[in-house]
Amino acid sequence: MRKITLLFIVFSTFLYGQERHTINGTIKDFSNGETLFGASIFLKGTNIGVLSNEYGFYSLSAPKGNYTLVISYLGYKEVSKEVDLTIDQKFDIELEVNSTQLNEIVINSSDSEDVNIKKPQMSVLKLSQATIKQVPVVLGEVDILKTILMLPGVTNNGEGSSGFNVRGGAVDQNLVLLDEAIIYNTSHVFGFFSVFNADAIKDIKLYKGGIPAKFGGRVSSVLDVRQKDGNSKQFKLSGGVGLISSRLAIEAPLFKEKGSFIVAGRTSYANLYLPLMEEDIGVGFYDLNLKGNYSINENNRLYVSGYFGRDDMQFSDSFDNSYGNLSGNLRWNHIFSDKLFSNLSFIYSKYDYEFALKLFDFNWKSSITNYNLKYDFNYYANDALKLNFGTSLISYDFNPGVISPTSDTSSINYFELDQKRAFEAGFYISAEQKVSERFSLEYGLLYSMFNRLGGQKMALYENDLPVVYNEELGIYETGNIVGETDYSKSDKIATFDNFEPRLAMAYELNNMSSLKAGFSRTAQYIHLLSNTTNVTPVDVWTPSGQYVDPQLANQYSVGYYKNFKDDMFSVEVETYYKTVDNRIDYIDGADLIGNNYIEGEILNGESRSYGLEFLLRKTAGKFTGWFAYTLSKAEQRTLGGEAGGPGINNGDWYNSAFDRTHDFSITASYRLNKKWSLGANFVYQTGRPVTYPNGQYVYEGLSIASYSDRNSDRLPSYNRLDISATYVPNKKPNNRWKGEWVFGIYNAYNRRNAAAISFGQNVETGANEATRTAIFGIVPSASYNFKF
Amino acid sequence: MMNTYIKLSILFFGILFTSCTDVIEVEVPEAEPKLVVEASIDWEKGTDGSLQTIKLSLSTPYFDADQLNPVTEALVQVTNNSTGAVFNFVNQNDGTYTISSFVPVVGDEYSLEVVYNNETYTATETLMPVVDIDEVYQSLDQGFDKEALEVNVLFTDPVGIENFYLMKFQRQGGYLAELFDISDEFTDGNQMSVFYEDEEFVVGDLVDIHLYGISKQYYNYIRLLIEQSSDSGPFATIPAQLKGNCINTTNSENNAFGYFRLTQVSKESITFR
Repeated sequence: MRKITLLFIVFSTFLYGQERHTINGTIKDFSNGETLFGASIFLKGTNIGVLSNEYGFYSLSAPKGNYTLVISYLGYKEVSKEVDLTIDQKFDIELEVNSTQLNEIVINSSDSEDVNIKKPQMSVLKLSQATIKQVPVVLGEVDILKTILMLPGVTNNGEGSSGFNVRGGAVDQNLVLLDEAIIYNTSHVFGFFSVFNADAIKDIKLYKGGIPAKFGGRVSSVLDVRQKDGNSKQFKLSGGVGLISSRLAIEAPLFKEKGSFIVAGRTSYANLYLPLMEEDIGVGFYDLNLKGNYSINENNRLYVSGYFGRDDMQFSDSFDNSYGNLSGNLRWNHIFSDKLFSNLSFIYSKYDYEFALKLFDFNWKSSITNYNLKYDFNYYANDALKLNFGTSLISYDFNPGVISPTSDTSSINYFELDQKRAFEAGFYISAEQKVSERFSLEYGLLYSMFNRLGGQKMALYENDLPVVYNEELGIYETGNIVGETDYSKSDKIATFDNFEPRLAMAYELNNMSSLKAGFSRTAQYIHLLSNTTNVTPVDVWTPSGQYVDPQLANQYSVGYYKNFKDDMFSVEVETYYKTVDNRIDYIDGADLIGNNYIEGEILNGESRSYGLEFLLRKTAGKFTGWFAYTLSKAEQRTLGGEAGGPGINNGDWYNSAFDRTHDFSITASYRLNKKWSLGANFVYQTGRPVTYPNGQYVYEGLSIASYSDRNSDRLPSYNRLDISATYVPNKKPNNRWKGEWVFGIYNAYNRRNAAAISFGQNVETGANEATRTAIFGIVPSASYNFKF
Repeated sequence: MMNTYIKLSILFFGILFTSCTDVIEVEVPEAEPKLVVEASIDWEKGTDGSLQTIKLSLSTPYFDADQLNPVTEALVQVTNNSTGAVFNFVNQNDGTYTISSFVPVVGDEYSLEVVYNNETYTATETLMPVVDIDEVYQSLDQGFDKEALEVNVLFTDPVGIENFYLMKFQRQGGYLAELFDISDEFTDGNQMSVFYEDEEFVVGDLVDIHLYGISKQYYNYIRLLIEQSSDSGPFATIPAQLKGNCINTTNSENNAFGYFRLTQVSKESITFR
């Protein structure tokens, strides 16, 4: 706790006594009343300025005097207002979309150009409401996840893989929040679509590093996605009809513009992949986003939001499978004073997976459910200091699996894997502080605590070792179970806590460039168990406990930022070094599925990654886009430890599955004329580390592959070009109906990128062969989008 | 078994992409050849189990046309650790080593000793019992594919004890064997049903069915072997070096591939009608 006292000492030195007044208010979009997150509000000619928060709220204080208040936000017309600051004042400001510029803005990886240089926050990517729709289209639909994959430091395992990897981290190391609710699976149809319907999304922020103290629970990144509040000015209908899926969103004001709502739905057509298959297979997905809000008065606003998404797959009559996320959130914004803003949220989220094998008359269900209470405060202490503090309490229920027979004749017995419970709490305080004209700091501390709760039995192992090394055979095996402890619901099985300091600093070299550095320590208490090359929907989450330690990461980063040619171009160069302790690794042949004793299949290892990221953007003009390049390394090592033996892969460092030496991408848009605009993506990546056979032998009349060390080979490089064209027919200015056609070609030169290469015997000749799975060749798409 | 079912469901995801596969040329690393011991002492129920064969070979590069590289200059001996009886296997100079006077005893522990290239390999295992096959029948309208023939096998798991099985389907006429690893973890004491379906099955095909009782350690080995030999595309488990129980006592860095197993086996066969 000594660190916290220290923080307050620093704060107090900045409370100087001069007569000061405060301006506060909310920044909104003029056309639809949506609050704007990250708009810049500053007093011209001074160093005093802030950014609006997640709910559009801002507050700033300055000495008594006459000022020009300037409000700017990328893609919107700048607003200036003369202010005679003799008393505290409230300005709610609505910004108008800068329509002449709209098509020119593709993406901004910072809050706004100017603030980008000044603000200590680094390693963050932001996509705002105005720009989400401008990103290049893949498979006929704007896909936010596919867009962030085009940025430095973000990759995935190629087509057919769920989730994304940030700076060499695993998929489960990303905290994905949709209106603050934890989303456990970000993909539909194994990653072909993301769960985020662009029609319902207001903005997203991806923190690759320098994670603010308010976020905890994951060691790699935070993807913070916010849904639209709904149009509070007029009824609005928007949607699109595509070859694969269609969508529709309705938004409208409520209670005389004191509130609004949005309902957005999306569905694929039944049996999506039927044309590709000879077999009788059906695959499909749908989702629904909801949000409503109501302003009780100036200082109180309520929100309710929800998401429901589902994937279904059938394989003739024998197999049925479905999975999805469900989340809901109740929020209360309360402004205590012109300097103190608060938000209280009660959040529910659930991910579940089930399948039925009718052939064997049973079904399988697994799920993870959590309730989360969050209370966050922003205190705008003075023009040099802003404080954020709050708490987050999460209660988890894990159902790793329940198997039930579905008929009397089933040979399956009812079986329930141990149901697990846990409680996670976080308390944080952080400060954004201007130390001098050129030097800014953002520092904070999160205290996190995790209780693995009772209500289950835990196996006891001989010598307390769930995994033992069999010296003779040279393999790791599950330890001998010698008994079990029955924990009642009021018992705690294990308790962990961690102090997680976060620090970011920026030094302005001049008006156009700055240097930044950051450090963050993060802890992760729940883990996704997966020893397949790609994350599958079957993979289950497990909490830390007696045998599974929390993951602890330290990340150091340094960056250089420069804007030039009147902010038309910007360059960002960042380098990072990240270590993770207690990264779960799997013993050879680990059997994680339907296993009550997963601690007998895993060892605690460590991982490290480092890299250099380069991003050059052009944000204005007819031609816009960016070029990104990452040079990186991601490795892991797992020693035998108490289990004995050398460890996994002989205890050597080996490439993690997310290691990509080179990752190069170009995203470009060109506005040809008022009717046509063109877009293109190109990506080139070093192939994913995989394990190839280094020999074969005959056993039971079959050719059996013997494999080399884990991840010591690589798939061929991944590369792909997508192109798209958008056509906006002549629009009559008074016509409310606005339509556009979007045509695209995914993988334009039809490269057969390997999602996997597997080795086996040809069933006819018996000869060994390598089989490549390449999921998408060239895919043309067309969709019609409309707004009313 | 349960695990197999759930893995099967992952396999279904893989099936989604089967239309997107092609065979390609890949360069793979080449390791030094190693000794492969296929010492499967299988005692067919109803026989005296005196005839036994052990096969020795060397591993070869993955894409070699000659998959079998027999070892013809080794000494092979099995000892019953309970009785002390020693069984010397006779070198047939074709990579097989045979004996006609073996004495199998359920529950007895045996050890294997192979001397090859001045190195000694040893292994120890227990002979595991197995239940009889209750019934074998053919069907058409069951299984995944309603137009494909399948063979169904029923057997009854003994209640209250942990059992592991290996089931092998061998279709006669030069086809590859189909192996299934089975544990009674979720089916203890039940009548178990296993089917093998192949769209290539035609009337007149003869399929041999072997049900082996196996040890837990061998189950772990064969489970991984089967898993790594089946193609589950993008959702495959990260493959690993298979490590059997044949230890090189001269040079611990050079253990043999393969396994020394002792099983009781129930055999049946079916001809599709």
